[in-house]
Amino acid sequence: MIKFVDATKVYSNGVVGLRNVTVKIDKGEFVFIIGPSGSGKSTFLKLIMHEEVPTEGEVYVNGYSVHDMPQSEVPYLRRSLGVVFQDFRLLPNKTAYDNVAFAMQIVEATNREIRRQVPLALGLVGLSKKAKAYPNQLSGGEQQRVVLARALVNNPAVLIADEPTGNLDPKTSWEIMNLLEEINQRGTTVIVATHEKSIVDAMKKRVITLEHGEIKSDEQKGSYFNED
Amino acid sequence: MKIRTVKLLVKEGASNVVKNKLMTFASITTIVITLFFLGIILLLAVNITSNIEVMKRDLKITVFLNIDVSPFQREEVITFIDGRKEAGIVSEYVYISKEQMFEDMKQILSNDALMKGLTPENMAESFEIKLTDPVYSEEFIQQLSALSGVNKDNGIGYGKEELDKLEAILKVFNYIVMAVLAVLMVVSVFLISNTIRLTVFARRRQIEIMKYVGALDSFIRWPFIVEGLLIGFIGAVLSFLITSQAYSWLQHVLNIVLTNFSLAPLNVLEFGPVALRIFVIYAIFGVIIGGIGSFLSVRKHLNV
Repeated sequence: MIKFVDATKVYSNGVVGLRNVTVKIDKGEFVFIIGPSGSGKSTFLKLIMHEEVPTEGEVYVNGYSVHDMPQSEVPYLRRSLGVVFQDFRLLPNKTAYDNVAFAMQIVEATNREIRRQVPLALGLVGLSKKAKAYPNQLSGGEQQRVVLARALVNNPAVLIADEPTGNLDPKTSWEIMNLLEEINQRGTTVIVATHEKSIVDAMKKRVITLEHGEIKSDEQKGSYFNED
Repeated sequence: MKIRTVKLLVKEGASNVVKNKLMTFASITTIVITLFFLGIILLLAVNITSNIEVMKRDLKITVFLNIDVSPFQREEVITFIDGRKEAGIVSEYVYISKEQMFEDMKQILSNDALMKGLTPENMAESFEIKLTDPVYSEEFIQQLSALSGVNKDNGIGYGKEELDKLEAILKVFNYIVMAVLAVLMVVSVFLISNTIRLTVFARRRQIEIMKYVGALDSFIRWPFIVEGLLIGFIGAVLSFLITSQAYSWLQHVLNIVLTNFSLAPLNVLEFGPVALRIFVIYAIFGVIIGGIGSFLSVRKHLNV
């Protein structure tokens, strides 16, 4: 469960990332975070990951108090999250299999667990056949699937995706979105920041709209606001 | 940390050495150069020290007797020197008679007009004495000059020329060492900081990704440190090989030069006896440089 209580983030250069945001996302939800560039989508996700800490207010994620936690606990918070980025962020010198396995090695899983879980995760995203390929040998969509497999392999409570389809063509984008929905149906909370109007409108999920760092609207089965 | 994690991190570090060829090459080159300079200084120091020992052992005390010395007085001096020899203070001595001195002079001055009117009778007898240790010299010279047959006006020569030579060499050596040390420091600091900066830049993303996936700092740090240690060790081995080859060649050449300028018994030492010491020093320095270099390069980027 994720809870923002009157959270404000002002960057050191004076830019306001988020202003007095109070919101609650329950376990098992699928939430879109939308809004124009600079509206605070990235800041919202960064606060969840403890990439940034709020200057005021409170942020709770999976039982951790992000606004007030020792640096040494940050890795454990991140292990409870699966993270997907627009630019993939795979380790270039590892194969698809090893990139996924790496997330398990970090939590000191046994080799037996790794050998069982990694193929399962790759299978779930439909990449079993490319397990031995390096990131630069994979298409954008395939790389994003590897990232998804990596994010899933430790069964995180929450999956965060920052513009996961930003670098992908429409068809591949839909494949990724369908995967996210499938993951959500298995009980994982999914939070997606995106620009993709058509996808948001079609999927009829909860939509939180940010503007100038504030929540403009928060609706169940929402759609992209017409900005024209 | 579990044992399989330790194994994993060591393996990870080792494979980074192989995979990041350019960075590995740059780092190893830096370490090879740095250690090579360090080796030059060490070998220089070892040689200077050993040659100073040789020269010290070689220092001679020259004592002249009065021209009109009586047999009894001469006997007194010989008895005194023999006594010191038995006491282990004098290692060896040579007696030079009037006749021999005359012959020596004739050789040096040859047909010179100066030789005219000189006879062995004008010559002074002398002793050339070597001490087992230069520390005895002061007391020894004092006691010697108290004997009646010894010429006090000419003084007792204590290898003064050799001492001057030695001091001049020492002075020059000190300047060389300081200059080389300064160069070494500048070069190694420059090269290592540059290499580290490159490494950090190349790995910044990698560290960042590891942090996002929830890796502990130690988990991120250790493969880098293992990598640094390995690179340091490889650099040390390579540098050692280069040093030994270069030194053996230089030793050969310098010894020929020293012999030709009749500077024997000065000589350049063999590499063999100091090889192990040099290797151990190289290995320690290489591993420390590599380890610290990696540690620093990661530390900067751990706070994501």
